[in-house]
Amino acid sequence: MAKVKGNSPAPAAPANSVKPQKTPKKWLKHLWENYPFLVMVFPAVLVVFLFNYLPIYGVLIAFQDFMPGDPIFSEYTQWIGFGNFTRFFTDVQFWPLMKNTFLLCIIGFFIGFPLPIIVSLMLNAMKGKRMAKVLQTIFNGPHFISLVVLVGMLTLFFGRYGLVNNIVASLGGERVSYFLEASAFRPMYILSSNWQDFGWSAIIYIAALSSVDPGQHEAAILDGATRFQRVIHVDLPAIMPMVSVMLIMSIGGLMGVGYEKALLMQTDGNLAVSELIATYVYKQGLTGIPDQAYATAIGLFNSIINVILLIIANTTSKKFSENSLW
Amino acid sequence: MASLTLKDIKKVYPNTEPVKKPKKKKNNDEPVKEKANLQITEEGVVAVQQFSLDIADGEFIVLVGPSGCGKSTTLRMIAGLEEISGGELYIGDRLVNDVAPKDRDIAMVFQNYALYPHMTVYDNMAFALKLRHTPKAEIDKKVKEAAEILDITQYLGRKPKALSGGQRQRVAIGRAIVRNPQVLLMDEPLSNLDAKLRNQMRAEIIKLRHKINTTFIYVTHDQTEAMTLGDRIVIMKDGFIQQIGTPQEVFGHPYNLFVAGFIGTPQMNFFTGCKLVKENGKYAVDILGKRIVLSEKQQAALSAKGQQPCDITVGVRPVHIQADSQGFTGKVDVSEMMGSELHLHLNVQGLDVVAVIPTVGLDLEAHSTGKEVSFSFDPSLMHLFDAQTEKNLI
Repeated sequence: MAKVKGNSPAPAAPANSVKPQKTPKKWLKHLWENYPFLVMVFPAVLVVFLFNYLPIYGVLIAFQDFMPGDPIFSEYTQWIGFGNFTRFFTDVQFWPLMKNTFLLCIIGFFIGFPLPIIVSLMLNAMKGKRMAKVLQTIFNGPHFISLVVLVGMLTLFFGRYGLVNNIVASLGGERVSYFLEASAFRPMYILSSNWQDFGWSAIIYIAALSSVDPGQHEAAILDGATRFQRVIHVDLPAIMPMVSVMLIMSIGGLMGVGYEKALLMQTDGNLAVSELIATYVYKQGLTGIPDQAYATAIGLFNSIINVILLIIANTTSKKFSENSLW
Repeated sequence: MASLTLKDIKKVYPNTEPVKKPKKKKNNDEPVKEKANLQITEEGVVAVQQFSLDIADGEFIVLVGPSGCGKSTTLRMIAGLEEISGGELYIGDRLVNDVAPKDRDIAMVFQNYALYPHMTVYDNMAFALKLRHTPKAEIDKKVKEAAEILDITQYLGRKPKALSGGQRQRVAIGRAIVRNPQVLLMDEPLSNLDAKLRNQMRAEIIKLRHKINTTFIYVTHDQTEAMTLGDRIVIMKDGFIQQIGTPQEVFGHPYNLFVAGFIGTPQMNFFTGCKLVKENGKYAVDILGKRIVLSEKQQAALSAKGQQPCDITVGVRPVHIQADSQGFTGKVDVSEMMGSELHLHLNVQGLDVVAVIPTVGLDLEAHSTGKEVSFSFDPSLMHLFDAQTEKNLI
């Protein structure tokens, strides 16, 4: 170790130090001492248990030949192991569903993840703070539009007789029904999602940027850094821990795209690219002759992929950036 | 290294909200109102005004004063981090009022270090040079030289969070000196350190000053730092300069009551309600029921000014008070043993008087709490302040 002159940082605790073990008596005392806090947190724990953990019990039907109305446990329950999963892997829809879901999510991620970071950095670097606040409020607005209204707006803009087509037609062009064009689905879906959420997602980064020491900016000004260089060398490193956490969480939910918007935008013309795992699960589980066991197996498979991605992202981040969720 | 000239520098923070007009205007001659120690005018809040100072090449100037006196604002105006509302600032012969901070050839050490946390010590020190596209070999040479001067070579690979407060402060100084700036500004660089480390770093700064050729401007609210570091001290209050002088000058001849009270630890004793009288052509002071004739030097100074008898406040430094059975008497309220000296807080006719008495050969029991003690002071060491203007009469 390097020789430390004068004052040195406090030495770390020895690696082999033993943590005092809690006896049951000590544990009860600890609970008693903290009971007001436990009482306060109890409702939240109860809600999470009832609505997030208890329903996990329902995934058991993914391993059964289950029909709606059957009890999950009975003497007639037919356990079929990974039968539903095998059925999905051999389903003709498997690869198109995987491809559609993955492409939509990955393209959306590459555009949608950096966008709020860039916006927050730009808003933070603006000289006119009042204007920055006005812009931030404007950017947050679309987040509060419901998906149905959003898709309605897309129809008004990109429908056969929508604004875009009207402009194209007035300029002598040919009308195109973008909702029937498979190639238009992903750009419309991704760009409208990002338009709706970039301002809202930027809030967390703007909050992180507000804690940056102004002295660092002043030091950088005296060092000769331009405004852009200050963003790169002061602001961006300051929000990197937050970026890492958000990156891990985004990767963890990468395949977790919802079915609602895709279903609302779905037409026969774009079905080849708009059929996702989520919409397929919805259709299998709730429409026609419901096959809930099969739908649950597909949903569980999707969740397992998300968990694996989350673990990989967290481990990678921990290794390279010292930031992680656990 | 460069000289600096500050001519009638002024800083006004403009009102961001419209000023509410008072319902009834009591006096038309009162355009200025005061809130705490801030002056608020139609223009805005006046932080610094009438600040004029010439700083010589390589001089170590200390700006000192209580919180909110405008010392940091002045430093930041020199750095270019605050706009100058009025007056002229020259670095060398160049007017730099509108010159960008990076082009002023100055460096600054901040109170909270302001190191870049994601960079190593080396990168922190090299950052400014990299931005100036200095060749790598030269950057390496300069960083290592600065690290050598500050004894931080062994920490070059560490990040700031792995350093102690004192080490971080050295890195902050290193980052500033690596560019060989013409002027080095320091904004309360030691105030985040504990007392022991502060003393140590103070000595380091004195050593540093002899190692590097630059002009120093140092801001502090600690008068001990000001006295020990500065070639000259600028004492400020409410945005105005109160006195500029060497440590000896401001200690030995404070310009006014504020400076007298601010400089020196323990603070100077003030005896209010005294009178300057003239008896048989000689000046004397009526203090605590006694009449003390002033020294020849004081007589000459007052005569030269044609000073008329008036109400005054007499200042006497605690170190100039000595035990004397023929002098004033007071009751010991508090007795503080400091090792080599005893700090006595005496109640003298309702006034709190502090005396610093050497403990060598002193009867400690006779100077304990509740005891009556007698003391006096050399009249030539008295400071006489006009009770109205608070200015030193001599």
